[in-house]
Amino acid sequence: MTFTSLRPLAALLALAAIGSAPAREKSTRQGVYSDGQAEAGAQLYAVRCAMCHGRNLEGSYEIPALRGKFVANWSGSPVADLFIYLARAMPQFAPGSLSPTDNARIVAFLLKANGMPAGASPLPSGEAELRKIAFAPSGPAK
Amino acid sequence: MARYGDLITPNVPRRGVVQGALGLAAGLAMTGCSSAGSGAKPQAALPLPARRLRLVPMRVSPDQLIDVKCCLRPLRAAGPNLGTEMVGDTLVVHNYGHGGSGWSLSWGSAEVAVGKALSVLPKEVAVVGCGIIGLTTAIVAQRAGLKVTIYARDLLPRTRSFRASGSFTPDSRIALTDPAGAAFGDLWEQMTRLSWKTFRTYLGLPGNPVEFSDSYQVSDQPIERRKWPRDPAITDSWATKGLPQQNSEFAHYNDRIKDIVPQPVDLAAAENPFPTAYAQRSSQMHFNFASYSHLLLSEFFERGGRYVMRSFHEPTEYGQLPEKVVINAVGFAARDLWLDKTVIPVRGQTGWLVPRFEANYGVRYKNISLLSKADGVVVMNTNPDIGDMLGVGDSLELPRKDDILDGLAIMAPLFARGMEA
Repeated sequence: MTFTSLRPLAALLALAAIGSAPAREKSTRQGVYSDGQAEAGAQLYAVRCAMCHGRNLEGSYEIPALRGKFVANWSGSPVADLFIYLARAMPQFAPGSLSPTDNARIVAFLLKANGMPAGASPLPSGEAELRKIAFAPSGPAK
Repeated sequence: MARYGDLITPNVPRRGVVQGALGLAAGLAMTGCSSAGSGAKPQAALPLPARRLRLVPMRVSPDQLIDVKCCLRPLRAAGPNLGTEMVGDTLVVHNYGHGGSGWSLSWGSAEVAVGKALSVLPKEVAVVGCGIIGLTTAIVAQRAGLKVTIYARDLLPRTRSFRASGSFTPDSRIALTDPAGAAFGDLWEQMTRLSWKTFRTYLGLPGNPVEFSDSYQVSDQPIERRKWPRDPAITDSWATKGLPQQNSEFAHYNDRIKDIVPQPVDLAAAENPFPTAYAQRSSQMHFNFASYSHLLLSEFFERGGRYVMRSFHEPTEYGQLPEKVVINAVGFAARDLWLDKTVIPVRGQTGWLVPRFEANYGVRYKNISLLSKADGVVVMNTNPDIGDMLGVGDSLELPRKDDILDGLAIMAPLFARGMEA
């Protein structure tokens, strides 16, 4: 095979890379937060979020649950999207009031509550790092 | 940002005061009735023929309360966003920010938005959001021959629109006078008149999706239209704070449509079905959510409409849709999704009593209003001393049942006696 004959293939591969979503380095299936962080997030959730979304993340007729449909809505995006949205929009009565550290704790709690596994290190609170992690459900809801 | 607690002053008169006032009023009303009947000296302002209307009393006891709903009205100082912009190669036509007038303006506003979408000759459009604005816009686009897909987290019955009271109130927190400018008044009138005509095509249909009923305002004092002159002591305004600071900043346009919308008339004491000294009656148009939304959804799907459950979180996602013309009808969500910081939350809530078809009217007394609708009797507790400023800047979207229960206690004496006379 000559060098020249590889060119079309290389071009094709390059096009495919441009056309598809950027590959994430890892996903929420691989333990991207720590148990301690999720526990801290649970405590924050109880104070800042549960009044609307419910103690068990069940939501209500009016307010979105943070289970089920929630997983479907965020899957395929980087965890950064969820993190940025929470930072901007939540809690609805005081948007923008969560610190990045607390926000990461709450996201960790939401991942855990939706069956995504814990790992050794806490979830980062930097956007660039969160952009590398895909939000991916770990399987059918139990 | 003003908080709910700062804005609400409990306005619950002591029971003795209510009963005392009503007792006096009932005495007056009975006097008026008997003198009309006996031919004795008539009251000065008694029109002919004066006949007391019999109304079936509402049941305003707490056990009748079946729901309390809270929502946020999306107020924009300049009025609804009906502008256009490009996201990549996608034309986005906005149709959001209708304050407390979304239902009332829905058809007229949809006409404007769809008109802008049609200007680029699309065959198909996407509508983001399925509240009353989104769904109505989708249908108007279909009636114009377009193929329509609605992308939304929920269908109409689970949107904020369904937590409104559902009365025709086209200038309720629709804009602030100065930022909206003079031109908006003309656009408002155009949208309102088109909506009014369209709602009339739903009158008398099975299930009464849209209907009129009598609405009474009753009072222990003479009834005057409340005016809100500018308070010169308040020097800040929306322009300096980003939130309106007093009632005089709110725009009102209802005088423009007095020729078609029934105005209140004074009732003589002998005509007043309530035990109060003063009463006015008007005819109010309202929307019955269940049958009206059923009709809209049926039309949307019968015309081949497609619904995709999807939650959006930032504007760039609109550019990823296959449709290259997108109408953005997300209501209050535009604050967080479209990053429109000019969207001001105005919190409101309604209580709902068991439906009472046989008591088909509305009544307002002190700070409380009741309106009998197909899906229940709506109860609202709105402090008249706060006016349009009630709930401004408050985005805590949780119901406060106690306010509704307070309202029921205020209304109870109206129905305790006097109505069957």
